[in-house]
Amino acid sequence: MINLIFKTSTLFTLFVLFLLLANIVNDAFGYVAIVNTVDPHELVESGNLDSLSNNELIGILEKNLSKGLIRRYNFEEPLNKRTQKELVELVFNRVIEPRVAQSWNLITSIFHRGQINSEVQRDFPTATVQFRAWLNPDFLVNPQSSVPELAGIRTAILGSLLIICITVIFAFPLGVGTALYLEEYAKDNKISRLIQVNIYNLSGVPSIIYGLLGLTVFVRGMEPITSGAIFGFNDPSTANGRTILAAGLTLGILILPIIIINTQEALRAVPNSLRHAGYGIGASKWQVIWSHVLPNSMERILTGTILAVSRAIGETAPIVVIGASTFIAIDPSNIFSKFTTLPIQIYQWTARPQVEFRNVAAAAIIVLLILLLSMNTIAILLRNNISRKRSNG
Amino acid sequence: MINPNYSESVMKRKITEGVIKVVLTICAVITVLVTIGIVVILGKESYLFFKDVSIVEFFTSTKWQPSIEQFGVLPLINSTLTTSFIAMLVAAPLGLCVAIYLSEYATKKTRSILKPILEILAGIPTVVYGYFALTFMTPFLRLVFGQHNVEVYNTASAGLVMGILILPLVSSITEDALSSVPNALREASYGLGGNKLQCTLTVVVPAAFSGIAAAFILGLSRAIGETMIVALAAGAGPNFTFNPFEAAETLTGYIVRISGGDVSYNTVDYNSIFALGLFLFVITLTLNIISRKIVQKFQEEYD
Amino acid sequence: MKKIILLNLLLVSALVVFASSNKETKVTEDKSSSWQIESEDGILPGVNPLKVEGDIISAGSSTVFPLSEAMAERFKDEGYAYNVTVDSIGSGAGFERFTVTGETDIANASRPIKEKEIAAANKIGRNPIEFRVGTDALAVTVSKSNTFVKDLTLEQLAKVFVSDKWSDVDASWPNEKILKFIPGTDSGTFDYFVEEVFKKDSAPLLSASNVQMSEDDNILVQGIAESPYGIGFFGFAYYVENKATLNILSIDGVKATKENVDAAKYPLARPLFIYSDAKIMKEKPQVAAFIAYYLTYVNEEITRVGYFPANDSVLEAGKQAWLEAMK
Repeated sequence: MINLIFKTSTLFTLFVLFLLLANIVNDAFGYVAIVNTVDPHELVESGNLDSLSNNELIGILEKNLSKGLIRRYNFEEPLNKRTQKELVELVFNRVIEPRVAQSWNLITSIFHRGQINSEVQRDFPTATVQFRAWLNPDFLVNPQSSVPELAGIRTAILGSLLIICITVIFAFPLGVGTALYLEEYAKDNKISRLIQVNIYNLSGVPSIIYGLLGLTVFVRGMEPITSGAIFGFNDPSTANGRTILAAGLTLGILILPIIIINTQEALRAVPNSLRHAGYGIGASKWQVIWSHVLPNSMERILTGTILAVSRAIGETAPIVVIGASTFIAIDPSNIFSKFTTLPIQIYQWTARPQVEFRNVAAAAIIVLLILLLSMNTIAILLRNNISRKRSNG
Repeated sequence: MINPNYSESVMKRKITEGVIKVVLTICAVITVLVTIGIVVILGKESYLFFKDVSIVEFFTSTKWQPSIEQFGVLPLINSTLTTSFIAMLVAAPLGLCVAIYLSEYATKKTRSILKPILEILAGIPTVVYGYFALTFMTPFLRLVFGQHNVEVYNTASAGLVMGILILPLVSSITEDALSSVPNALREASYGLGGNKLQCTLTVVVPAAFSGIAAAFILGLSRAIGETMIVALAAGAGPNFTFNPFEAAETLTGYIVRISGGDVSYNTVDYNSIFALGLFLFVITLTLNIISRKIVQKFQEEYD
Repeated sequence: MKKIILLNLLLVSALVVFASSNKETKVTEDKSSSWQIESEDGILPGVNPLKVEGDIISAGSSTVFPLSEAMAERFKDEGYAYNVTVDSIGSGAGFERFTVTGETDIANASRPIKEKEIAAANKIGRNPIEFRVGTDALAVTVSKSNTFVKDLTLEQLAKVFVSDKWSDVDASWPNEKILKFIPGTDSGTFDYFVEEVFKKDSAPLLSASNVQMSEDDNILVQGIAESPYGIGFFGFAYYVENKATLNILSIDGVKATKENVDAAKYPLARPLFIYSDAKIMKEKPQVAAFIAYYLTYVNEEITRVGYFPANDSVLEAGKQAWLEAMK
């Protein structure tokens, strides 16, 4: 009987994972009630925009949109040179402006369609009900917005990727270097043991502490560098160390111990006979490492690095502490830009009370999880590749 | 006949080797500098903090509100312990059971499927768990125990979800401990006529006890340092309460709230987050060291 | 191994190229007024966002945030192609970034700047200029499921926020704990509330039981909406955005409506500001352009956001201050 408990516990754990994922999917898809900001029947009697001429459409635009907006559209491509189809689309998106008035989750959408319809008829008589995937191609390429259905994660994805580039460039050589020192060079003495113990301890420090470290060292202490001021990037009067560079370095330090520990394990797996063979043909220590040890452990090192990086991509707390921006709608242009990341967006949207932002947060979570899952898959494939090689050889 | 270039090339080689060694040593030294950096920064700002605040008040008063000069850290510690304790209530028994199942009962094939799944669970970012706590666990608790009894932000929800978060960590270390118990012990138990369950409970688990303890301690340390779940679900005000259905801010929750909004440099608020950071650092470091000592001792026993 | 080094090198050089491609943002003299077009209001020059160049950094009040965010979005919508950052961190922290660290070009605030903040700004060579952009009616709200309270007097309001149970304030109210959701101590909203309701003494409010504080008003809204015995306060825009789940209380019998705010009857009406500095506006024409744009069009956006237009004379004073700064 007690045997069953072990199995049940395991099944329960699986169930919780399922629940976690199901809860996210449940929020990322479902019916929405869409209300037009301007009723098309007010613009044209039939309510059918397609029947209008170009000039009539331009008239509607000029009447309903601000001067500045018309100026921008004319700048991009003069309105009178646009096709009727383009103009109809413009009137639809900018004047009629359909907006989500309410949203329902997937389970309600599937099982309580009737209830949704009656609620809509009661609360939003003019609304149409549509099925909406909050995770859609537009969501990936749109910048951030205060309107949930227009909000996207392009800025956040770019921010995350740039930060990760910095993290890898910083932490990979440093981590591999330290591991090489400890495994290949250091003698087993007090100092090397101290360094080793220190690395283990660093790996257990809560990530928020790294945030405090990053805030003090990279954001404040090294502000001229991290803001790009000494490279002449920013106006010195608004120098600000809360940049991609500072975030990347902070996360780099965070994953440094993980990379070191993984690399050490990889180096230890290289058989000593290989090293001796190298010395036998008169190679120097570094030559042996460079042409024998590293090539033979590189796949393992990369596997460990990918896992470390996927940890960095999901980190939120240290980034909040060093001060990511709450609203940033333009792509980061260089490493001295202010930024937002995917987990920060998820955090911000989750904290919002409106249901629609929950939907958006859920969609962003799916993107984040797919990103991490594909990285982990690559790591696992690499690992399997290693064990296959080993069993073949 | 010696090549005239020989000594030159040896020299060159020696220099290269020397430079590389120095570079690698510097890498290793940087990792030490990181720790020193953490200690110095936390220490310096905390020093400024404790210049204004009595350490006795810090550890005995039950009011934490730095802007009106109330500096009792107990409410924050109390809620950190509440969430961590709830997390351990979930993670310890479940983690142990999962580990026993994986190590003693599961077939090789089941293991090869289950372990990556647990790894996935461990790889999910904590902000996603925060989302789960706020959008699923809290409404669920309020449904079961009543809207009036469970506040919208509460430590129970954060703790339960945190338990799920640290479960893979606990179960994987526990499983390592269980699998490293020598088979000879198991066979001896079978030899005495015990069945699998008896063997597991009376021989394997006790033999791996210190390893299991290490896993629990590590899990606890992880729970204490966890931030995003409590920031989203546990509440945003210091509250000295033992009721897990009430909102109460934790150490990490306070740090992230203050630094996320305002970090007015050189104010007592700013220094206070470093003092709390130092405290957090010391607690987690101590737990990690204890846990590793236990593991080391344990390994020696069977090596 | 070599491949990896090569890859790394490629990455680095890509970043450097990426980074250096941004150098064109350097401001040259002739660009400082090229954005100006025919005036819309007869006072400030009109703004053509298509011609405005360079980033703008602003931070401050979470109350002003929705308004500044809306203005920034409209600015971008009309063709501004650079980055305008609006950080919602509270008025105090916003002033801190503007006056002490000098990180921002504009500070958003739901309270006037303090003397010591002006002094700090002077120290880094800044002289804050105030622009009034609108009026907020501080909204005291409860959950939709709260049926027993519709109105509070100012005295009751003060009592509610320091009492433990509803029945302590009014015997006819339920014997339930009052869950209080209030903006953080660094917000102008908190300062304003303490000043108006607690005669400038924040201690009673901060030492009350069951207090949840956050600089993020969304967290407050969520808390109040889900707590039948919760109460809290924040900028009116957050109430408008969450009408479906919140009830607003009238104060001393006065409802927070446009008429009452305009007639200065609503006791918790307060001004909203943005701050900048003449030197910044001259050095960074994009900041001057954005503020001119803000002041010109704010009344077209403010009602939709959920605040109330400032009256014409104070708005005009801001415009005059702009002209003065750009002299």
